[in-house]
Amino acid sequence: MTEEKSENTQPPSSFAPWLKLTGEFWNNFPALQAFSASENSEQKNDAASFLAAWTKFASGFWNNDWIKNMSGNSENATPDNADQNKNTANNRFLEQWQASLNFMKSFSKALSEPESANATIKSLSTLPDVVLKMLKSGCEAGIQVQQQLIEKAAKIGKTTEAYNFENLDQEVFKAFSDIYEKELSQYLHIPQVGLTRFYQERIADLMDKHNVLETTLAEFLSILYLPMEKANKVTQEKLERMAEQGTLPKESKENYSLWVKVLEGHYMTLFKSRDYTDALHNTLSRLEDFVMAKNETMRDFLQFFPVPTNKEMDDLYKEFHLLKRRVKELEKKLNIPMNKV
Amino acid sequence: MTQTKIPVDLILESLAQDAEKAQKRATKASDVLLGELHSDLATTPYEVVYQEDRIKLKHYFRSETADKLKTPLLTVYALINRETMLDLQPGRSVVQNFLNDGIDLYMIDWGYPTRKDSMLTIDDHVNGYMNNVVDFIREKHGIPKINLMGICMGGSFSVMYSALHPEKIKNLVTTVTPSSFDNDKGLLHIWMKDLDVDKMIRAFGNIPGDLMNLGFLLLNPARLMIDKYVGFMENIDNKDFVENFIRMERWIFDSPDVPGETFRQFVEDCYKKNLLIQNKMYLGNKRVDLKNLTMPLLNFYGKFDHLVPPEACEQLTKAVGSKDVEDVCLETGHIGIYVSSKYQREFAPKIAKWLKARDEEDVPQVKARDEQKPKLPAARGRKQAAAGSPKTKAARSATRTAKPKSPAPAKGKSALMQKIAEAI
Repeated sequence: MTEEKSENTQPPSSFAPWLKLTGEFWNNFPALQAFSASENSEQKNDAASFLAAWTKFASGFWNNDWIKNMSGNSENATPDNADQNKNTANNRFLEQWQASLNFMKSFSKALSEPESANATIKSLSTLPDVVLKMLKSGCEAGIQVQQQLIEKAAKIGKTTEAYNFENLDQEVFKAFSDIYEKELSQYLHIPQVGLTRFYQERIADLMDKHNVLETTLAEFLSILYLPMEKANKVTQEKLERMAEQGTLPKESKENYSLWVKVLEGHYMTLFKSRDYTDALHNTLSRLEDFVMAKNETMRDFLQFFPVPTNKEMDDLYKEFHLLKRRVKELEKKLNIPMNKV
Repeated sequence: MTQTKIPVDLILESLAQDAEKAQKRATKASDVLLGELHSDLATTPYEVVYQEDRIKLKHYFRSETADKLKTPLLTVYALINRETMLDLQPGRSVVQNFLNDGIDLYMIDWGYPTRKDSMLTIDDHVNGYMNNVVDFIREKHGIPKINLMGICMGGSFSVMYSALHPEKIKNLVTTVTPSSFDNDKGLLHIWMKDLDVDKMIRAFGNIPGDLMNLGFLLLNPARLMIDKYVGFMENIDNKDFVENFIRMERWIFDSPDVPGETFRQFVEDCYKKNLLIQNKMYLGNKRVDLKNLTMPLLNFYGKFDHLVPPEACEQLTKAVGSKDVEDVCLETGHIGIYVSSKYQREFAPKIAKWLKARDEEDVPQVKARDEQKPKLPAARGRKQAAAGSPKTKAARSATRTAKPKSPAPAKGKSALMQKIAEAI
């Protein structure tokens, strides 16, 4: 028993060629290091030699006897595992493994050909450009937001004009909206494919509408806050003047009354401005978009349950409504008494 | 030695007094809030005499001692908020004042529309429900005409109804009723102009009451979202005040949804196209011609109403066919007419007096349904109203814009409730 155990712990003899291959690959490792820091064509050649070594290794690896044995290849089966191979000859898993192995073998072989190697090298050289472009896009968006924030910060401390809400400074929110629409929203509009495409599209649409609503709502709330900001400043200025004249109210209630009156005036002015009306309608419109998208998604979910959807009920209500009208008209024609309780 | 411009000592002293008062108020407030509070609305007894779908017709029991009016009055409230506002609390109730003045009062309760009501149009409400209710009352009392009073949107419905069925309406009273929508005085008029009402209905079906309430709060956030609650905190130790305040809150936020199609037509035909005052509005296939309003008309509106500004109300009397018309402009807001104690003493008594003056009897055309309680007295023939209806142009202009004398402004808690009522 002990002998058997010790035999089982020994690595299979077929490991030897694999180890040899690995050794050859690592002997070419300096080429890899050279490639990572490659700046000129000479080093690029090193990269090519690295790739050649790697493809050779890969090809050898997949043609290795040990790998073949693992797949249950009876041609190369050792006497030790012959019985096992017989038992698992028809094993579906091994068949799958064999198919994968064959694919990897042919793939490695194709890759080791000089034309494929050149193409791979070429694609590797364009990789940094792709990464750079992605980073550039993200950085530009970040810079745009930062720029807007800096511009906003620069305006801090400037005198506010009382009872004037024309040309509201909402550039930061516009920048956020632009970024969302240009950089993020498009990912939610990627055309979906397959059986569940409509469901996926509706969920993506719901997410999109929710994000747009959040942004619009933030802008709207910031506009609603503007009168507070202005009223505080105007009240402070008034109190300052009153202090200079020695007429400062002694009761805190009087200060509050002054502030709330100024605030009311500012709100009235704001509410009549075109900017506010536009923001209000825009927010309402985005809310409606979101509610419609939510209803569509909910309808998808409700279809899984034995309950009618809103659309089905609306259709029913419409029929019911038209029928009731006809019945009431008929009742009147026939002088049927009204609904006295 | 010069006097200091900023009396720091006095300010600090005032702050200390405020803090002391606040502490005492907080202690008393806990007793008030944890104790029993009577904040029920609409406690005047009534019976439901007619019901159709979601709507109910309430009939109130009038005072037996009062000098009774012969013609019953049907009150039509708006589809926004509820008619309970007219019976807010004992002592502050238009309903009770009407009953005390001998008015036989009916009131439509529009109920709470659900999704199944989203297809109901203005035509369904006016030529459907309202017409059925009017017919029911006429039949019950055995009279050809009844008095009609409309409030806000319910007033617009009443104007439409009276123009389409003038033979059924004896006198028309409109209160804070928009009839001309093309003005930029009221914020609602400004905001409604560009509203995408189709999209709104696609999204919501019926227009949610909460959404509309939010819109109304945004009409004056300084007063309705800040000052009102500051006032509440200042009077939180006053049981009467707290009860009144909670009643008002319960009424304000008890907002049924508005049926989608009705909302669509009201916004499109009235707010956007202003068809009603131009006699171009259609209900069903019938044109609403205001010249058909030949019955006496009493038109109330609030000078400080920012929901339905005077400009939206005052053109009605000029557009109708009647020569007996009167505008009454009260110096209050949209709701103040009905709930402020100041106008409780003027509004309902004025209507009762106006109706009494025109309460001549009509020849019965239909037999009374209710044999047990015949409302129609023995025919005494037609008689002229005590205060003769002005028929001439000169007399007509004399009755226009009668402004009742305002009593001295209320003080203390009443003043605050008055402010709240005016802010709405």
